[in-house]
Amino acid sequence: MANATQPFRLPQIGLVDRNAPLTFRFDGQALSGFRGDTLASALLANGARLIGRSFKYHRPRGLLTAGPEEPNGLVELRTGARREPNTRATVAELYDGLEATSQNRWPSLGFDLLSINALFAPALMAGFYYKTFMWPASFWERLYEPAIRRAAGLGRAANAEDPDTYEKAFAFCDILVIGGGPAGLSAALAAGRAGARVILCDDDFALGGRLLSERREIDGLPASQWLARTIAELESFPDIRVMRRTTIFGVYDHGVYGALERVADHVMAPAPHQPRQRAWRIVAKRAILAAGAIERPTVFGGNDTPGVMLAGAVRTYVNRFGVAPGREAAIFTAGDDGWNTARDLAAAGVKIVAVVDSREQVDPNLRTLCEGFGAPLYAGASVFGASGGKSLRRLAIREANGSVRTLACDLLTVSNGWNPTIHLASHQGHRPVWNAAIHAFVAGDLPDGMRVAGSAAGRFSLREALLDGAQLGAEAAQDCGLATKQSAPAPATDPEAVAVAPVSRVAGSRGKAFVDYQNDVTDRDIELAAQEGFRSVEHLKRYTTLGMATDQGKTSNLAGLAIMAELTGKTIAETGVTMFRPPYAPVAIGALAGHHRGQDFRPVRLAPTHQWSKELGAVFVESGLWRRAQYYPQPGENDWLTTVNRETLAVRGGVGVCDVSTLGKIDIQGADALTLLERVYINNWSNLPIGKARYGVMLREDGFVMDDGTASRLGETHFLMTTTTANAVKIMQHLEFCLQVLWPTLDVQIASVSEQWAQMAIAGPRSRDLLRAVIDEEHDISDDAFPYLAARMVSVGGGVEARLFRVSFSGERAYELAVPAGYGDALARALMAAGRPFGVTPYGLEAMGVMRIEKGHVAGGELNGQTTARDLGLARMMSGRKDFIGRVMAGRPALVEPDRPILAGFKPVDRAQRLRAGAHFLGLGRSADLDNDEGYMTSVAYSPNLGHWIGLGLIKRGAERIGERVRAYDPVRNGDVEVEICNALFLDVEGARLRG
Amino acid sequence: MRLPCPHCGTRDVQEFTYLGDANVKRPGADEMSEAAMTRYVYERDNPAGRQREYWHHSSGCHAWIVVTRDTRTHRIESAEPAKPLVQS
Amino acid sequence: MADPSLKTKWSRHSAWADILTASPSDAARPCGVNVVAREGLGVAGIQAQRGRKAALSALVKMRYGLELPTTPRAVRDAAHAFVWAGPGQWLLVAEQKESFAELSELAAVSDQSDGRAALRLSGPNVRDMLAKGCMIDLHPAAFPSGAAAMTSIAHIGVHLWRVDEQPYDRPAIFDILVARSMAASFWSWASASAAEYN
Ligand SMILES: [Zn+2]
Repeated sequence: MANATQPFRLPQIGLVDRNAPLTFRFDGQALSGFRGDTLASALLANGARLIGRSFKYHRPRGLLTAGPEEPNGLVELRTGARREPNTRATVAELYDGLEATSQNRWPSLGFDLLSINALFAPALMAGFYYKTFMWPASFWERLYEPAIRRAAGLGRAANAEDPDTYEKAFAFCDILVIGGGPAGLSAALAAGRAGARVILCDDDFALGGRLLSERREIDGLPASQWLARTIAELESFPDIRVMRRTTIFGVYDHGVYGALERVADHVMAPAPHQPRQRAWRIVAKRAILAAGAIERPTVFGGNDTPGVMLAGAVRTYVNRFGVAPGREAAIFTAGDDGWNTARDLAAAGVKIVAVVDSREQVDPNLRTLCEGFGAPLYAGASVFGASGGKSLRRLAIREANGSVRTLACDLLTVSNGWNPTIHLASHQGHRPVWNAAIHAFVAGDLPDGMRVAGSAAGRFSLREALLDGAQLGAEAAQDCGLATKQSAPAPATDPEAVAVAPVSRVAGSRGKAFVDYQNDVTDRDIELAAQEGFRSVEHLKRYTTLGMATDQGKTSNLAGLAIMAELTGKTIAETGVTMFRPPYAPVAIGALAGHHRGQDFRPVRLAPTHQWSKELGAVFVESGLWRRAQYYPQPGENDWLTTVNRETLAVRGGVGVCDVSTLGKIDIQGADALTLLERVYINNWSNLPIGKARYGVMLREDGFVMDDGTASRLGETHFLMTTTTANAVKIMQHLEFCLQVLWPTLDVQIASVSEQWAQMAIAGPRSRDLLRAVIDEEHDISDDAFPYLAARMVSVGGGVEARLFRVSFSGERAYELAVPAGYGDALARALMAAGRPFGVTPYGLEAMGVMRIEKGHVAGGELNGQTTARDLGLARMMSGRKDFIGRVMAGRPALVEPDRPILAGFKPVDRAQRLRAGAHFLGLGRSADLDNDEGYMTSVAYSPNLGHWIGLGLIKRGAERIGERVRAYDPVRNGDVEVEICNALFLDVEGARLRG
Repeated sequence: MRLPCPHCGTRDVQEFTYLGDANVKRPGADEMSEAAMTRYVYERDNPAGRQREYWHHSSGCHAWIVVTRDTRTHRIESAEPAKPLVQS
Repeated sequence: MADPSLKTKWSRHSAWADILTASPSDAARPCGVNVVAREGLGVAGIQAQRGRKAALSALVKMRYGLELPTTPRAVRDAAHAFVWAGPGQWLLVAEQKESFAELSELAAVSDQSDGRAALRLSGPNVRDMLAKGCMIDLHPAAFPSGAAAMTSIAHIGVHLWRVDEQPYDRPAIFDILVARSMAASFWSWASASAAEYN
């Protein structure tokens, strides 16, 4: 049944599970394959040759490779929100119900209107982007860019939110083995036997690497038996983690490796609670790079015709997937390896129509082999043209004597040697080096802890792969301090020949000869680059875009370099190579974000009263990591200002409560606690009695204000410092620096207690009455016993320990009451219940902001890292009797310069006008330019008490200019308001309300 | 990058906060002057090579440490507590 | 006068209230990760005063019968654990909230009982689950019984230690403390990370 629908499936050959048929769709057509297929192998089995259209010229393209290096076979996989463009069909594991769509074609794959681009090919030559940029910009915007975008899109991203989840994960091991081919497997085995913790990663869903694709013997038995035995042993070790479908995409400092595990890319949708992909960060003491090698194409005319494939890939399709990529095959080879393909194709029943070996001298055994195929051998010859449009039909061959002949076939296998896969070895900036013996770049200096084994080291034979793996695995285990037992003798392998004499490009080609298939770069583009002087590899890359597509030139880089070397008369070694940088393969942003998207983008901190605020309908606002109640709208209040005005008036007229738990709280104890305070604050602390709080300001060492807040003296050597919400973490770190680095001999112990205490502000003329109803009766809070700035232990709710501070941000009589965070919710509810007779009103951050601006208290807008204590009108706080951080630098001439912007208040001359923070001050009638800039507005609020907008700002010589009028100019929001400079204290100048 | 905290062991660099040059020393009371402070606050070498630098193990033990690192290769020569091991 | 009901003892709100919901208990179905909220613990930060480390150590030994750890370890018995919390610093975790006043002669003691939210994590997949956010190696060779660490998980600071004596190849049990304000975010990560094993 399957064979009827899979005409190119070979009977009896391959590792696919013939008992597990799968159905899938390509461009809407229903097709079938087997478990163990890739989308690419299943498409070939069904006779599909044309997979997509090329990026620039929309040329028909088929599969070139069978692995992750594939430049052509990019498809859109899945549909709807899961649609994913630019997926390589060669690594997409087939599953039942898979849907794929070809890319870059319109209206259909077979008939593409945009392939007309090919007729205008000269316009799209190398350097097109650069040259067009130099033309009038308007041409680019109106004409070229839209047209090019439509023609050159590489697939379409889904336009709905990704329904899947992604994860990050961390793993640790002694030895990371990159690649699960013969070298990697034997390395992991040797290391595992020595007792090492090993992680073995392989891109593929099946371990074995090239062993899956070749008909080889190990110890006289089919390699598949060695493979099965080895995998079984590896998986029996508890400390070996084998990670299939996992690509190492980056190598970072100190043995850190990035890996992408495709957890559920091979099923229709992830299982419940499973991520689609997982981004691993692997930390390894040693790494063995056993990533194998990538076969290189030959550059000749029509080398992109569907049906022209790399010889090793053809063996993969035949031997691993049981698929014949054609019926009549021609072999074009520059070495012994191409002959393996001829042999395997013939064994699978594919007719060999000719072998073209570019070497003049061909081993007599190979000649005999060719006779066995009944096919002609053209030694010293080359294929200079392939044609057939959507599927290969004809080859043009130039024989050694120069005569030309044509040949009909539907498959051409191209063998031109292999490039070690060394990308990861240069992620740390190490340049690859040219190895003339194997005609390829190999790794030069290596990242710390990394060794390279097998084909990745340019040692291409199976025997060397097994030897390298066993040796490097054992050595790595020794490096990790593990004793290795007497190693077993390396397994014996059947003989193999790997000689090659690569051909970078075939001279006198007929038709376009592609170097970079994915970016449509031809040999002519490289000639053009050379002609125009873009001869260094870095320029070549950028000018032609060679190697800059999603495949990063895995199949094309070397051919490009070789042609440039030939054109400039240099060697490839002299020409050099561009750097490989992470990621080795594309990584979805979703995988890098993992859990951290949407609400989980970053952690959120919730106040102890959060649930209470939520029940009251609070609107929350982000404040650093915190979610804080911004205001508490009531039914019928249609805009935030109505709500905030009500809250503000309620506090000033009665009493309000507000969560202030987010303030930083630092417990400071020890014999030298006072000394620390004296050194970090600008003001005096020595005369602060026990049971009192004081406002303090801290500077940075450069003399600018860092933070402000109160500190309370709880005991002789015990203080509690509060910081602003925003700076809580920073101040803790600063104090730790002071105590550990600056003054390590001080006997001071500090601890953040921010999380321990829930703290509520109770503000307004009725605040003491409300407190009286909540605080246990034995505590006297009369003004005599508990005056302004008192700070003392009390208890609430029948014995719950609490701390009471008489401090005020609003300018009203106010208190802050702290209880252990577990009682925060109870405190808020008790305040509400007890406050009912007083009309208690919960208020949020906005009302708090209004009230502090009315009182001219500085906060975030003014503490912006550019203001000094003097700028903020706090110069008199600076003690002249002690040294403190920032003292010397705060006295620098520039910071005490009289023209510096100084804090002042502002009100609109036309009281109906709105003020905006950020507006710049200009003299009346002055033009809006930098020379006339006199400062800027830092905070604004609508004051319901005054009935108009008010602002705080920094303006040159602010304090001296009260009564003067200036422009508050805000071009971003079309604001230009005439304002009057006034005292920054808008309300209750005498402070009568504060003391009650 | 991974940094060897002398207290906690080697950890991912994400756990640390960087401050910079650890060779600068805050002037003592007797040498405090605007010039000395300017040097302390602003003047830094920017070596291509070996540098001693302050890091804070902010997601770990909260210790300030001095890391000696090659700025070109990120190779770490040593990491020690910034707080001298005073008698405790 | 105020409502007399206000004078009754207030109820303490768990850090996990409104966050953790009990999972439908299905004893027949084994879970990969088990989570238990640790409620009612007494937690205190302890920092030796200058020059008092040895004396503090002796006092702890006498009063609690435990040796203060000087490396990242947790030293515990059934009632108390002293967990290393940085040089010269410890976290004292008591199964029942109690007074730690007698230590304040030699150390700065700060009550953190309400500031920390505690979980106990166990089950065959507990390490797999933690590996999705924990940037340190929890393999038994690197993090043996009694090991403790301060680190961050999913950008949230945590203090975690092993509370089991399981052999090398058996699943471990971890106690983990996070800041109270971040409990909801931590749980969002933890529940998502454990879901595939439960
Ligand atoms: Zn540390």
